Amino acid sequence: MEQVVDQPNAARRLLLFGLVSAYTASLIPWALAQEVTEADTAPFVALSAILAGRQSLDSVQALRLYKALVADDPGFPAAAKALLDTIEQRRIDPMQLQKTLDDEKSPLKLVPWRIMTAWYMGIVGDGAKARCLAFETALNAQAVADVLKPPTYAYGAYGSWTRKPT
Amino acid sequence: MADALSADFVVVGSGIIGSLVARKLALAGASVIILEAGPRVTRGELVARFRNSPRRSDWMSPYPPAAWAPHPVYQPEPNNYLMQAGPYPYAAEYIRQVGGTTWHWAAHAWRNLPNDFRVKSLYDVGVDWPMTYEDLEPFYQEAEEIMGVSGAPNTGSPRKRPFPMEPVAEPYAMRRLRERLASDYQVVSNTTARNSRPYDGRPACCGNNSCQPICPIDAQYHGGLAAEAAEGAGARLLPNANVYKLEHEEKGRIAAALYYDPDKASHRVAGKTFIVAANGIESPRLLLVSASDKFPKGLANSSDMVGRNLMDHPSTSLTFDADEDVWLGRGPQSPSSINTMRDGAFRSQHSPYRLDFTNISRVDGATKSLIAAGIYGSELEKRLRFSAAREMNVKNVLEVLPDPEHRITLSSEKDAMGIPKPEAHYAIADYTRRGHERSQQDFRRIAELMGGTNLRFSKDGDFANNQHICGTLSMGSDPKTSVCDQWGRAHDHENLFLASTGVLPTSATCNSTENGLAVALRAVAHMLGQHNTSTAAGEAKT
Repeated sequence: MEQVVDQPNAARRLLLFGLVSAYTASLIPWALAQEVTEADTAPFVALSAILAGRQSLDSVQALRLYKALVADDPGFPAAAKALLDTIEQRRIDPMQLQKTLDDEKSPLKLVPWRIMTAWYMGIVGDGAKARCLAFETALNAQAVADVLKPPTYAYGAYGSWTRKPT
Repeated sequence: MADALSADFVVVGSGIIGSLVARKLALAGASVIILEAGPRVTRGELVARFRNSPRRSDWMSPYPPAAWAPHPVYQPEPNNYLMQAGPYPYAAEYIRQVGGTTWHWAAHAWRNLPNDFRVKSLYDVGVDWPMTYEDLEPFYQEAEEIMGVSGAPNTGSPRKRPFPMEPVAEPYAMRRLRERLASDYQVVSNTTARNSRPYDGRPACCGNNSCQPICPIDAQYHGGLAAEAAEGAGARLLPNANVYKLEHEEKGRIAAALYYDPDKASHRVAGKTFIVAANGIESPRLLLVSASDKFPKGLANSSDMVGRNLMDHPSTSLTFDADEDVWLGRGPQSPSSINTMRDGAFRSQHSPYRLDFTNISRVDGATKSLIAAGIYGSELEKRLRFSAAREMNVKNVLEVLPDPEHRITLSSEKDAMGIPKPEAHYAIADYTRRGHERSQQDFRRIAELMGGTNLRFSKDGDFANNQHICGTLSMGSDPKTSVCDQWGRAHDHENLFLASTGVLPTSATCNSTENGLAVALRAVAHMLGQHNTSTAAGEAKT
C-alpha cells in the first residue's frame, strides 16, 4: 500500500487549491499528499479528505474506489464537483453536511454516504450490485489497527487476547 | 452406474450429525452412502468469500444457495425459499453444502441440564424426553471427544469424565465482565467445540474473531470435518444429490432414496436402513413430499406430528457503552455467559434463559451506524474508536415450548427442481415473552455494573433467531404424539431413522447441536443392532 505521509507537495497542493476555496482548503488536512494527476479525480480526493478527516489517503485505493463509483454512476464526477462547490460556497461544516443535504432534500444527499462507505467499509454499490474493494485497507480497519485485527486475521499467539489492550 | 447404488445404510444429509453417524456406522464395518443436496466447498474458498463480501455481517453471504438445492437467504433480498405463513416470521438460516450448517456456527457445544429432560414432570410445561440425562451422558462425552470440546465444569451439567480441553483463554473484555458482575452474577466460560490446545491435528484458537461465518484455521470443529471423517472411515459421500423422495415397500419399509442431480436427472439409491439427517426443516419436508397412496400424509406421519412443534431460541438484547475500554473483537466471538436462569421453579411461569455476551468486533456495525448518522470528518474516527472500545452487548437465549401449531409444512410454491418449498408457521408464545420481560432486569443490572450508558434495547416485540431448529421430528414414547422413538426410529417404518436436532422434543436454553448429536450417536448401536452387523464401535461403549 502506497501510503504517503510526508509533507505535501507544493504542486499537488496548488492543483487542489485550484479547485477549492480557502474555506474548503482549511478543512483538508494538508498532510494529505496524493498523486492527483487527473484533474477529474481531484474533487473526489478533496471531498474524501474532508469527509474522512484523514491525514493521509492511499492513492491507489483512491483511484480504485473512484473508478468503481463512476462505473455505478457516470454522473458521479459531476456530483462530487457539485458537492465540493456547495461546501465551499456555503462553508458547510462536515458535521453539518448530511443534515443540510437531507433537510434540503438535495439530489446530492447520497454522495457523502457513497464516498464514506467506499473508504470506511471498502464497499461500493447497493444491494445485489454491492462489491467489496477493500477489507484490511478499509479505513475502519485502519482506524483501529493499533488494537484490533480485521476478522479472519490471527489476533496473535494463543491467549494473547487476555491482555489489557493498550 | 449411479442408478445401481446401494448400501447397508443410506444417510440423507452430510451435516455434523449425519456425517458423524455415518462415520460411526462405517467404523463398525457397515457400508454407508451419504447423499448431500449441496456442493463441496473448501474452507479456503469460504474465507476468501467472507473477506470479499460486501455484507460481512451477513453470515450467510459466504454461503450462497445452490440453484439445485436452495436454502433460505434474506440479503440482499430474501430468496423466498422458506415461505412464511406467520403470524411471526421464522427467518431460519441453514446451509445445504457438504458439512451443513455448522460451517458457520459459534461452536457452542452445550449439554442440556438434567432438569431439561423432565420439564413436564417438574414444571408442568412442554413434554418430558423419552430418556434421562444419565442415559445421554456417555454420548455427550463421545460427541465432545470427537469435536474437541473445551469447557469448565461449573455450567450445571454434571459429567463423569473431564472435558477434552480446558476452556479457551478468556478475552480481556470477558474478564472485565466476570470481575465487575461478580457481586450479582457468575459469568462462566462457554462450552465450545473450539481448541484451547492443538487437538486431533487441528491448531489452538488464534483469536481470528470470525468463528461465524468461518474459522479460517479449523481451530473450531464443523461439519466439513465431520464429513471428511465419515469419508475417511469408508463412507461414500455424494454431493449435489438432492433427495426428493423416499420410496417404500408394501409393508412400509423404506426401499430407496431418489435424488436429483443438478441437471434434474433422477437417481435411485437402495439400502437396508435409511437415516434422514437433513436438519429440522429439510427432514420433515422430505418426509412430507414422500407421501404415497399408503401414506397420504407423508412418511412417518401417522401421528400427524411431522413438521410440528417447531422450536428455536429467540433472543432480545441490550447494547450499551461501558465506562472503560474493553475492545470487543479480540479472541473468539462467543466466550462467556450467565447460566443462573437456565433452570428453576419459575419455569412453570416463564421461559428460562441463558444470558450470552458477544465478543464480536463492533467495528463494522459502528462504522455503518456513524456514516448513516452523517458523522464525517475527524469526528468519525474519534467516535468509531469510542464505539469499538466501549460497546458491549448481552442477549437472552429463551426457551420455546413445543406447540403443534408451530410447524413446517409444504408450500404450494415449488423450488427450481419442482419440489414444494418448506413453509413456516410460527409465533412467539407468551411463555417466551414473559422470559424476555424477566430478563430485562438482568440487562439493566449488567449495564449498571459495567457503568453502562447509552442503553439501546432491541426493538420491542422483535426477537432475533438463533438457528437452533428443533422439535419437527420429535421423539417420544407414544406413537400418537411423536414421530420417532428415543433411538430416532420412525414409529411407522422399522428401517427409517431420524438423526437431527429435529428429534429434540424441547428446546431448553442451549444450542441444539450437541444435544442432537449425542442423541444420534446413542442411536447408532441400535441402528447396528437392528441391522445385525458387528457391534457398535466408536468412542463410547454402551
